[in-house]
Amino acid sequence: MMHMIARRLLQLPLVLLAVVVVTFALVWLIPGNPMQHEGRQPPPEVAQAMNRQYSLDSPVTFLGGYLARVSGVGWVLGWNTAPVDFGPSMRHPDWTVNEIIRAGFPVSATIGLGAIAIALVVGTCAGLVGGLRPGSWWDASTQTVALIGISIPSFVTGSLLIVLFAGKLRIFPIGGWGSPSQAILPMVTLSLPFAAYIARLLRFGLIEQMHTDHLRTARAKGLSRRQAAWRHALKNAFLPVLSFLGPATAAAMTGSFVVEKVFAIPGLGRHFVEGVLGKDITLVMGIVLVYAALLVVFNLLVDVLYVWIDPRIELASAPSR
Amino acid sequence: MRWVCCVLLVLLTAGAVVTFDGSRSRADITFASADVFTMDPQRMSYMQDLRVARALFEGLCARDNTLDRATPGVALNWDVSADGKKWTFHLRPEARWTNGDQVTSGDFRSAWRRLLLPDTAADYTELLFSVRGARAFFAWRVEALAQYVAGSIHDDAAAQALWTTTLETFDAMVAIHAPDDQTLVVELENPVPYWLDLCAFPTLAPIHERSLAKWTRINPATGLVQSDAGWTKPGVLVTNGPMKLVEWRYKRGMRLEPNELYVGANPPLAGSVEVVPIEDANTAVLAYESGSIDWISDLTAEFRADLAQASRQWREAHQTEFELRIAAGATVDEALAALPAPDMARGERRDVHVLSAFGTDFWSFNCRPLLSNSQPNPFADARVRRAFAQAVDKRALTSSVTRLNEPVATTLVPVGSIAGYTSPAGLSFDVARARQEMAAAGWIDRNADGIVENSAGVPFPTVDMLYMTGNPRVKNIAIALAAMWRDALGVQCELRAKDGKFAKEDLRRGNFMIARGGWYGDYADPTTFLDLSRTGNGNNDRAFSNARFDELLGEAERELDPTKRMALLTAAERLLVEEEMPILPLCQYVTLYMYDPAAVAGLTRHPRLDQQLSQLRRVRDASVSVLP
Repeated sequence: MMHMIARRLLQLPLVLLAVVVVTFALVWLIPGNPMQHEGRQPPPEVAQAMNRQYSLDSPVTFLGGYLARVSGVGWVLGWNTAPVDFGPSMRHPDWTVNEIIRAGFPVSATIGLGAIAIALVVGTCAGLVGGLRPGSWWDASTQTVALIGISIPSFVTGSLLIVLFAGKLRIFPIGGWGSPSQAILPMVTLSLPFAAYIARLLRFGLIEQMHTDHLRTARAKGLSRRQAAWRHALKNAFLPVLSFLGPATAAAMTGSFVVEKVFAIPGLGRHFVEGVLGKDITLVMGIVLVYAALLVVFNLLVDVLYVWIDPRIELASAPSR
Repeated sequence: MRWVCCVLLVLLTAGAVVTFDGSRSRADITFASADVFTMDPQRMSYMQDLRVARALFEGLCARDNTLDRATPGVALNWDVSADGKKWTFHLRPEARWTNGDQVTSGDFRSAWRRLLLPDTAADYTELLFSVRGARAFFAWRVEALAQYVAGSIHDDAAAQALWTTTLETFDAMVAIHAPDDQTLVVELENPVPYWLDLCAFPTLAPIHERSLAKWTRINPATGLVQSDAGWTKPGVLVTNGPMKLVEWRYKRGMRLEPNELYVGANPPLAGSVEVVPIEDANTAVLAYESGSIDWISDLTAEFRADLAQASRQWREAHQTEFELRIAAGATVDEALAALPAPDMARGERRDVHVLSAFGTDFWSFNCRPLLSNSQPNPFADARVRRAFAQAVDKRALTSSVTRLNEPVATTLVPVGSIAGYTSPAGLSFDVARARQEMAAAGWIDRNADGIVENSAGVPFPTVDMLYMTGNPRVKNIAIALAAMWRDALGVQCELRAKDGKFAKEDLRRGNFMIARGGWYGDYADPTTFLDLSRTGNGNNDRAFSNARFDELLGEAERELDPTKRMALLTAAERLLVEEEMPILPLCQYVTLYMYDPAAVAGLTRHPRLDQQLSQLRRVRDASVSVLP
């Protein structure tokens, strides 16, 4: 197990390197110049000077300099003050990408984690209800709600929640960020598709588990349907949910553009999309790197939990002795 | 499962601790604005940035919206030579920076030098080109940097040497002098009637050089002098305006408070002011209605026309009383505030204000002889451009499409916006004339298929109409224009919507036939609009070039007599909007504000919409009466 963790962590820099190179190639291909905006244009000489300053005239120089600053080489050589320096934002000259991520990530992460927590509770309950009584009225209604949860886009649910809870009932503030009450509605909005997905995964898992031999044995030994499910079926039925949770948590933590826009939340999701639209190369690459690192870490975490829940997995993957 | 929950809970708590900052006290005035880009006065060009800068910085002059002219700022007074070229400003000795230092003429000089350096990447560099030697200095520096890059030595010493030479060259070339701390002498190439207006423009604001120096470095690879991100943050940024920056968080907003060290002509009336960026137009309206913001500085919600209509109807229902109060000397806001409160439950409102802005909404014709695909461009012919312009029913556009009843425009300079300037008539809506112009250009429907063809029988190419996505108003206008041109002229149009940056790139490369444009003026002179069509101007997306037009602008530059100068500019604009038509003006821009005049005071309705945040205040007593 430790071997696996160490190997995966050692792979991390390689994965990130690949991500940097691919992202860079894609962002570089976006037409236009990041220094140029839609408003009033400076004299053309100014644009040239800026291209030179940010190495926009040479992709190789740009990528080389970027890798040095991000990898810590630049820090060792004394080029930059932060060990990992994502550089200045190209569209927002007053901010560095480090500052933007430092400000935006905790916001997105809080909403994302909150949403995953809500989704886990709601999704598990709904999945249990449906999985234990498949075909019942309860099952049909939770499945319908789950289907709606997956199908309705968050800008619709978000706007509806705002109008209802913030506009009419005035229980929560309209938007913005800074207090826990401002986080509730976005968390709920973001959690709905996740909850629906978890409910469906768990339901199918449970139905399958309830028909396995060991469950039948447990029932024969006198356990009630509920007890058997709780003690023996749930753990196994939860495995697909767990593997879904890894990437889902990483995705939720790095922010949802739609939810952040609807609720006027200064999170990474919004910064990322605006970065792409404005060809803010450094900002886009910085956020993608954070996302990639999170994805690797959470997938690793899920794999560790997998082994812990289902020891057969390690036996299968361990080298033959 | 338990472990998953525990890990989640711990992370969630950590996130919450880092990001929640408890309940902060609400500012006296909170308003929604587009996101602020930069607080570097020399680099800014967006309206929302300039608006904040006007509160944080004070230039030589300030602008009085009521008097509609420049008034003293840091400069107590000034003298101008008889030929209008040499200006001597006498600075207020008691003017202070927020760190207590005195504001000196040297601070202006170094700020203006900074504005003139290509290194700064200022959008408004050209504002100072009227200063003697400024344009030449800019060109010299561009050349010097190019030589430095092409050279073989790129180390700190070489870069520093180039910078020292640059400073010396500036001293020798550019006629901006600071003989003592309280005197600034500027010599202009030609007399500039709007020079004081420029001196009130935020990009010409002074900077505190000593605090900026810590954030400035010279890049040995390029020789460029750069200011690092960070010097404009609260606690670092040293300003001299009536307000000071106490908080600025990325896309979360900024907070200004009165600057207690400010001594000058425009003391703040405001308490704290908070700027919050709310991008979603509907969220902004909900935030306003819930009372969490006091003013929406640009109402873009799709249902805004309905809101505006409700406000207009309410006002019309109280027209007599409203007019009585105006006659008694009340401002529009005071008169509105004194009327009986609208019944929101019945859909009545008085908080949506449609204000004429100092800008023109237009579409651009590509004037290049060839299109970007090397095909001949039918719009290179002025007759075709005039035909398209005269086939547009602008009144129908503003009444039925935008539904905001913007003032229809036939000229680029908004009519009546500049004192002493007479606008030409421009071309009016005349389908018969439009068809004649098309026929004169050789485009006639020869085979009665509804499409015009040239003498060789080749149909008029499908008109490629480019516009930026994200604005339903523009899209609706584009659809309507295409229909008008199809019906009136027998041409097929194809709409092509692109995202901002991509559209800008297409404009730059000339990859369009007709494209959406628009322009806001910066200072009270027709040239702020007319320069747009000068040959080679950086904002001349149309690549329009006309020797006579350039000559008229040149003559106006050299003309000393203000009346004759304005006549030359009128002639230049006439050439533009009656003969050459590179631009098809549609209407004057309007900006929709949302605020309750009974709650917020201090907003100006002057078309420049140069709001002074330092003058915003909450109306404490809503029952202000100005009836005689």
